[in-house]
This record gives sequence, C-alpha cells and structure tokens, in this order.
Amino acid sequence: MLAQQYAAIKRDLDDKGIVFSFSGYLSEGILYSLGEALREKLTLEDADGPTVRRVFSVFVEQMQNIIRYSAEKVRGRPGGTVELSAGMVTIGMEGGKVFIVCGNTVRNDDVARLRDRLDHLKSLDRDGIKTYYREQLREEPDSGSRGATLGLIEIARRASEPIDYDFDPMDTDRSFFCLKVRV
Amino acid sequence: MDSLIIPATGRTPGVSFDFAAGHLRLTGESYPDDVAGFFGPVFSALHDFLARPERGAIRFDMELLYFNSSSAKALMNIFQMLETVARDGRPVTVTWCVEENDDSMRELGEDFAEDLRAVVFDLREIPAGGGA
Repeated sequence: MLAQQYAAIKRDLDDKGIVFSFSGYLSEGILYSLGEALREKLTLEDADGPTVRRVFSVFVEQMQNIIRYSAEKVRGRPGGTVELSAGMVTIGMEGGKVFIVCGNTVRNDDVARLRDRLDHLKSLDRDGIKTYYREQLREEPDSGSRGATLGLIEIARRASEPIDYDFDPMDTDRSFFCLKVRV
Repeated sequence: MDSLIIPATGRTPGVSFDFAAGHLRLTGESYPDDVAGFFGPVFSALHDFLARPERGAIRFDMELLYFNSSSAKALMNIFQMLETVARDGRPVTVTWCVEENDDSMRELGEDFAEDLRAVVFDLREIPAGGGA
C-alpha cells in the first residue's frame, strides 16, 4: 500500500516530464543544492553553458521570489538570517523545452499588484522587455519589494514563450500563486 | 587599504581590487543569499578608494559568468560610482567579458553600458567553457 501510493505520485510526476520536484519549506540553502543538481543534470544532457545559465537564472529568480514573498514563512531567532518559506518548485521537460513551475501562498491583498506586474510583462514584446529591464535596473527598489520587479523581468527575458500564471483562492486571506516558465 | 581580496565561493564572486594599481576585477558567479551583506563591504572599500586624492586610471574587469537580479542592482551601483569619477576627469575603462556564445551576457553588457558617457566600455569575447 505504502509503495503503491508513492509509486503513483512518482508515476504522475514522470508522466508530466518532471525531473525535479520539491514541496515544503524552501531556503537559500535548498536553492543552492537544487540549483547544483539542476546544472549537473543539464550538463549531463549536453546543454551548452549559456543554455544551462538561462535555465539556472529563471530557477534562481523563481526560488528567490518564493523565499522572499511566500505568505507562509517561519523565521528563526529575531534578527537571524534563516528564512524558511513554504512553496513548491517543479522542473521538467515538455516538447524539448525545460519548464519551471513555482507555487506559493500569497496574501489576497497582494494579488492585484502582482497580477498587474505579470500582465504588464506579458503584454511586452522582446524589445519592450529589454527597455523595461533597463529602466528598472536604474530604479531605486520600491519599499517591500526587495527587487522583485527586476527578478520578474529577468524571468520573462529568459523565457522562450510568454510566461503563464494563475491564482487559486484558498480562503479570505490567501491564494495559491503559480508561475510557469518555459526556457 | 591597498587592496580588497575576497575569494570566490559557489555563489559569491571573487573580488580582486588592487587599489594601488587601479585594477578591479570581479570573477565567478554572483547570487548571494544576502546581497547587501556581501556587497556592503565591497561598496565601502570602493567608495573610500574613489574618494582618495589620487587620480590614476582605473580598469574594471567584469568577468562574472552569471549574476542574479539583485546582484545586477549591486553591479549597477558600482558602474554609477565609476561613471561619477570618470565625469570628473579620471580615466576609467570597463571591460565586460562575455563567453563567445553567451548572447544573454552580451545583451546585459549593452544594458549596463547604455548610460555610460565618460567611462570607456569594452565588450571582450572570451573562449566558451569557463563553467556552467
């Protein structure tokens, strides 16, 4: 029964082309380890340096978005640097392309602002994204954002197709946010 | 302080600032878990160096293979500091190194160079294979 249950989960992941999947508390340490594993896997598949870096770049920005903005976090001692944020990250292959899906809880109050940012990014063509990146590179970060805007632009820039996103309302305070990027 | 040397780690860049020679280098990769914590001392050493009365030429070699978006902000900050002293007449050359097939890094170089007027900006191709 035990093996059957987990084999079913694994089969489901395999069928979706998922190479790595992590769900739970994410930290910078986990980002580093998963990132190393991801690069090794891509290198073994003979991806060239720039391709590996493009995938890696999207991965890092997505993971750091969860670590910084997940609405579900535990912090260690006050003033400590350990930050554990709940979320999930899934990396797989689909039609010869790598995809990265990240999911985390967000506060409903933040949904409209995040949606605006993502819709704006989706509306831009390659040159528009480039111009937007140049502007934001020279902007002071807005309070509370910790550089999120530039991170999202970086993601859109490395994507080979328009980014996909969605929100699933959980309760009156929170929604589950998902972002899928094909590189 | 005549130099600032910080060895590279898996996720923080190698810093090799030889202030006596006016030669500054960043190598490796940059996606620190604490960007402010890492770049704070780098900015302050650079700031002190640029405030000194000597006006010798400065060479800055940007040899990073990868940097994340928060490091991009830090890098921009360094470029703006260099542009300020260059506008005051100090010769500054930035060399942005790019692996020959890395179009993303080449494009980033153009983004960073866009508003440099006094700094001389060179894009230099290096052979591929410096690491993934």
